[in-house]
Amino acid sequence: MREVAIIGVGAHATGQFTEKPLKELGYTAIWGALDDAGVKPADINVAYVGNSIGGLLTGQEGVRGQVVLQHSGITGIPIVNVENACASAATALRGAWLEVASGAVDVALAVGVEKMFIGDSARTIGALSAVSELDLSQMGMQFTTSYAIHPKINLKARMKEYGWTLADFAKPAVKNSFNGSLNPLAQHRRALTIEQVVQSRIVVDPLTLYMCASISDGAAAAVVCSADLAKKFTSKTPVRIASCVLRSGVYRLPDDNRPDTAATTAQAAYEVAGIGPEDLEAVELHDAMAPAELMLYERLGLCGPGEGPKLIDDGITMLQGRVPVNPSGGLCSRGHPVGATGLLQIAELVWQMRGEAGERQIDKRPKVAMAQNQGGLLLGQDSAVYSCTILKT
Amino acid sequence: MNVLHPESILVPADGTQTPCLLGSRCDNCASVVFPQMPVCPACLANGAMQMVEIGRTARLFSHTIARFAPKGFKAPFFQIFVDLPEGPRIFSLVGAECPIEPGVLEDGMDMRLVLEPLADTPESKDLLTYKYVPAASPEKSGKARHA
Ligand SMILES: [Zn+2]
Repeated sequence: MREVAIIGVGAHATGQFTEKPLKELGYTAIWGALDDAGVKPADINVAYVGNSIGGLLTGQEGVRGQVVLQHSGITGIPIVNVENACASAATALRGAWLEVASGAVDVALAVGVEKMFIGDSARTIGALSAVSELDLSQMGMQFTTSYAIHPKINLKARMKEYGWTLADFAKPAVKNSFNGSLNPLAQHRRALTIEQVVQSRIVVDPLTLYMCASISDGAAAAVVCSADLAKKFTSKTPVRIASCVLRSGVYRLPDDNRPDTAATTAQAAYEVAGIGPEDLEAVELHDAMAPAELMLYERLGLCGPGEGPKLIDDGITMLQGRVPVNPSGGLCSRGHPVGATGLLQIAELVWQMRGEAGERQIDKRPKVAMAQNQGGLLLGQDSAVYSCTILKT
Repeated sequence: MNVLHPESILVPADGTQTPCLLGSRCDNCASVVFPQMPVCPACLANGAMQMVEIGRTARLFSHTIARFAPKGFKAPFFQIFVDLPEGPRIFSLVGAECPIEPGVLEDGMDMRLVLEPLADTPESKDLLTYKYVPAASPEKSGKARHA
């Protein structure tokens, strides 16, 4: 496999852009990435376009990638539509990485784009629920529910097991909302207090409104190329993809005590990259519900069982801590346009690693960073899709 | 009334049967799964799965009250996972006879199966599905409610 570098990233702001179709959101992100990389449409050999629920919500089926890219002047090349739940964008990046790593092409484009504000939030929530296996969604299962009581996450049980309180659940939201308040691309730019998070209305007991990612429009893109060609296009610091691991959930009977798939995915990513969790200097992770960040600390190997809140109390995962987590604001603050999220995470890490993150720049510019993205839900599983990407400069 | 997942529920045709769920039991490793599958997810044997009647009773594994409802549902409503004595741990809802209040359900409590409409909404009122209620709650007489 060849070494692959990310040479350009771009993003559309996240938030409510009711009037903008998918292709407009995509255009801003795609040309942001092309200009950043110093490449022209003719330099792109192949493109992977991630989107999750645009078919259900906009009615545009089958060729969303081609529609979005044509609007940006990219036609003729192989275009692959990627639909893989909330990890669609991470899966698109994997496709682009694999094309270049294998030697099939020199330059590839990965795009993630999602439009969730369509003026009918019940329809949007319905489309999101449909990203669970139908047997679950038809019974009224929602993602919020799964975080609250699903056997493999079961935040309610963690309160008993670890003594975690609602204030502990609020800590990631407070930390991330501060980071988001510094991010001009973020959907929610108000720094929240523990009290505000705990006292916001209950969505699914015990999760409150400010603990849950809201619906969002947004897009992100990345140009990847063979590492030895990076200098041909740009003088900016190339960010190498040290590992890019995609997994699916596994069927679990109730007595299944094998490690969670988020953990095995991270472990595989560490092994390929030749590093451990102690080497990470920045992380963007999938905090679709804020307290899930506390669970993910454990599963990524950042702390032991139950120690998540302490990581925040001790400042370790704060913006200027030893391993800042979700410097962008994460899914709850930066926003979670589901099929774009994986590449929004990558864009944030690239900006941080180049020292271009503005007010929210991590002072000790990270040299090793991880993006963790997941999505979907099946009967008998935890999540349906897991992705971990490790970047190095 | 239409059944939401007819392959998963035994709906009594007359008074001689009681309702139950339909799962698969593996002849090779004895694992029981719900809903039915042709390949055992535990030992991966193909062709060893037999249909079994399960889930007349259950034990509450976890529960929450959803304060926001997707289309076709009415908030607030209970959402639960239950452990069936035959093995599976499944997602389900709580029967209408159970008041929707904190403290009514307790993890670990014994539950029993009821068949009733998915929800009291225009979209869901004619769709029969499986729910659970606390086993201690009085049994409703007559089968009229799911006839
Ligand atoms: Zn078996």
